[in-house]
Amino acid sequence: MNDSKKPKIIAIYGKGGIGKSSTASNVAAACADEGYKVMIIGCDPKSDSSITLLGGKRIPTILDLIRKGVDITEDDVVFEGYNGVKCVEVGGPEPGIGCAGRGIIVAIQKLKKISKVQDECDLVIYDVPGDIVCGGFVAPIRKGLVSEAYVLTSGEYMPLYAANNICRGLSKINTPLSGVICNARNVSREEEIVGKFAEEIGSDLIAFIPKEQIVQDCERDGFSVMEKAPDSEIAQVYRNLARAIMSRNKSVMANALEDERLRELTR
Amino acid sequence: MEKDKKEISIIHPRPSSIVAALYTLRDLNVDVAILHGPPGCSFKHARLLEEDGIHVVTTSLDENGFVFGGHDELVALLGKVTEMFNPKLIGIVGTCVSMIIGEELHDAVLEANPDVPVIEVEVHAGYRNNTKGVLFALESALDSGIITEKEFDRQKILLEEATMVEKRHGAASKEYLAPSRGDVKYKVAQRIIELLKEGKRGITIMNAKKETGYMFADITVAVNEIAKQLGVESNIVNMANIDDTLGLPRVRHHAKCIMDDFKERGIKIHHIIGGMDEYPIAGDIAGKLIEEKYSDYDFVVITGVPHAIPMESISGMEIVSVTNGPRQVLPMKEMGHDHVIVEIDLHPKTLGVNNIVESEFGATLREVAKEE
Ligand SMILES: Nc1ncnc2c1ncn2[C@@H]1O[C@H](COP(=O)(O)OP(=O)(O)O)[C@@H](O)[C@H]1O
Ligand code: SF4
Ligand SMILES: [Mg+2]
Repeated sequence: MNDSKKPKIIAIYGKGGIGKSSTASNVAAACADEGYKVMIIGCDPKSDSSITLLGGKRIPTILDLIRKGVDITEDDVVFEGYNGVKCVEVGGPEPGIGCAGRGIIVAIQKLKKISKVQDECDLVIYDVPGDIVCGGFVAPIRKGLVSEAYVLTSGEYMPLYAANNICRGLSKINTPLSGVICNARNVSREEEIVGKFAEEIGSDLIAFIPKEQIVQDCERDGFSVMEKAPDSEIAQVYRNLARAIMSRNKSVMANALEDERLRELTR
Repeated sequence: MEKDKKEISIIHPRPSSIVAALYTLRDLNVDVAILHGPPGCSFKHARLLEEDGIHVVTTSLDENGFVFGGHDELVALLGKVTEMFNPKLIGIVGTCVSMIIGEELHDAVLEANPDVPVIEVEVHAGYRNNTKGVLFALESALDSGIITEKEFDRQKILLEEATMVEKRHGAASKEYLAPSRGDVKYKVAQRIIELLKEGKRGITIMNAKKETGYMFADITVAVNEIAKQLGVESNIVNMANIDDTLGLPRVRHHAKCIMDDFKERGIKIHHIIGGMDEYPIAGDIAGKLIEEKYSDYDFVVITGVPHAIPMESISGMEIVSVTNGPRQVLPMKEMGHDHVIVEIDLHPKTLGVNNIVESEFGATLREVAKEE
C-alpha cells in the first residue's frame, strides 16, 4: 500500500493500566484489515502487547534470548499474528531486579541490527510501559526510531495528571505530540474534559473510545476486538482511530499545563 | 536460532572496552577525550594517554548524576574543553553508568554545538571482548566522516583477527592466567650471544602493536649490533611490521619514525610484514616467508605479539619471544617457545615518543656482549 514513503512509527504513552496495549493491538489489527503492513513492538517487561494478536499465546522475548546467549535472528523474535501483523516483545527482568530501562535500550538496538521488517512496514507501533520512569523508556524515541507520539488518557484526574507529565517529558526531549486519545472510564463530562485538555496543551483529541465490556471479553479469550467482534460498535471506533492515525500529519510541541489548571479542568 | 559457543568467563583483570575506545580515539588524533561517567573511571589509562599528548577529562558523575542524568554536565564540559584546549577534534566515551541510565551523547553534542567534529562512542565496560570499544569508536568515526569506509572495513577485519589471536594463545585463552615475569633476561641474552658466536643463523621478527614498537624495535637493533660486533651480521634476517602506508595517520607516523631510526642505525629490514596495526595478521606473512626462504634457520627472536606467529613455521628453531604482557608467558611456553621474556612497564615508556627507546632486554644484550 505504502510504496516509497517511510514507515509511520508511533508510540502510545499513558498511565499504566489505562489501555495502551489494548488500544495498540486493536489499532494494529484495524490497520492490517485496511491492508497496511503493520508491526507492533511491545516494550513492557510484562510482554503483554501482542498476546491478543496471537490468539492468547506468548512469544519468546528478545531479552529472554539475549540472556540465554542465543545468536538471535529475525525469525527468533519476529512473529506473525492476526492478519499478518508482525509481533515483537522486548521482555525484561523480573519486577524488582536488574534494570528494565537498560533492557529496552539493548533490545531495540538488537532488533534494529537483525531485522529490517520495520523499514518495510506502513505502521510500526511501539507499545511502551506506563510512565516514562527512566531513560530506557524513551529509548525508542531517543534512538530516533519513533516519529510520532500519542498520549492515551481517560477523563479521570490521575490519568490526566500522568498524561500531562508525559507531555512535559516529551517536550523536554524535543519530541512533538501527534494527538490525544481518550479511552473512556465512564466518568462525568469525560469527552469534554479530555477534549479541553488536548486543546489547551496545543493538540487535538483524535478519538474517543467508549468503555465496553466486549473489549475485556475478547481479551479473556486471547483476541482483539477486531478479530473476535469485527461488527461491534467499538470495532468501528478502532477502525476510525486507525484511519485517523494513518492520515495524521500534524504534530505540536505540547505545552504541559500547570497543576492548578489541570485540577480546574477536571472539576 | 544458534546458541553461542560456550564462552569461557575470564577472571583475571583486563583492560575494558572503554579503555579500548579511548586508545582508538587517540589513534584517530582527537585532541580531547571526554569520559562521560564517574570520576576515577579508567583512570590509569586516561593518565597514560595524557602522556601521549591528548587531553582526557571526565564529567565526574556522582550519585546525583546517576539518578538525575548527566546531560547538563556533559554539555557544560563540552563548552569548557572547547575553551580550554581549543581542540580540532573531540571524542566522547560512554561508561557503564551513562549507558545504563540511557544518556544520549548526541543530544548533548547538539546542545553544546561545538564548531569542531565530535566522535561519540556509546560504550560501556561490559563486553567480553574489549575490541568492541575499538569497533564502536571506528563506527562513530566513519559516521562523522573521519575515516573512510575502506579503512573501516580493513580495521574491522583486523579486530576480528586480533580477538581470535587473543582467544587462541593470548590473554583470553584461559579462564585465569597468572602474571609472570618470564625467563631471566641475563641468561637469555647469553644464549643469543652463544648462538651468534656459533655462527648460527637467526631471524628477528618485530610484530608489534602500534606504539609498543618503539621499544620492541630496540631488541631488533641490539641483536643486529651484536651480530655486527661478532662479524656475523649476514647471519641475521630482519622482519618488522612497519609499513608506513597502512593504518590511521598516527599509526603510520610510528611506522615511519621507527623505520627512520632503523635506517639511521644501519639496520636493514629485509622484509616488511605489514602495518603497525596488522599484528594479528602479519604473523602469518612472517610464517609464510620463513617457510619459503628461511626454514633451515636456527633461531628466531620474536617481539611484540609473538603468539601471532604460526608455530608450524618456526617449530624447528630455538624460539626467543619478548612480550609486554605478563599473562602472555604461560600460553607462549605452552605453545613451545623456549625462552619468554617480559618487558615490564613497556607501554608507558612508548607513549609520547618519536624514536626507538631502549628496552631492558636490549640493554642486557649489550651489557652481556661487552662482558664476553
Ligand atoms: N475501551 C475499553 N473498554 C473496556 N476495557 C478496556 C478498554 N480499554 C482497555 N480496557 C481494559 O483495561 C485493562 C488494561 O488495559 P491495558 O491495555 O493492558 O493497559 P496498559 O497497556 O495501558 O497498561 C485491560 O484489561 C483492557 O482490556
Ligand atoms: S564500572 Fe564502568 S563506569 Fe564504573 S568505573 Fe568501572 S568501567 Fe567506569
Ligand atoms: Mg501495556
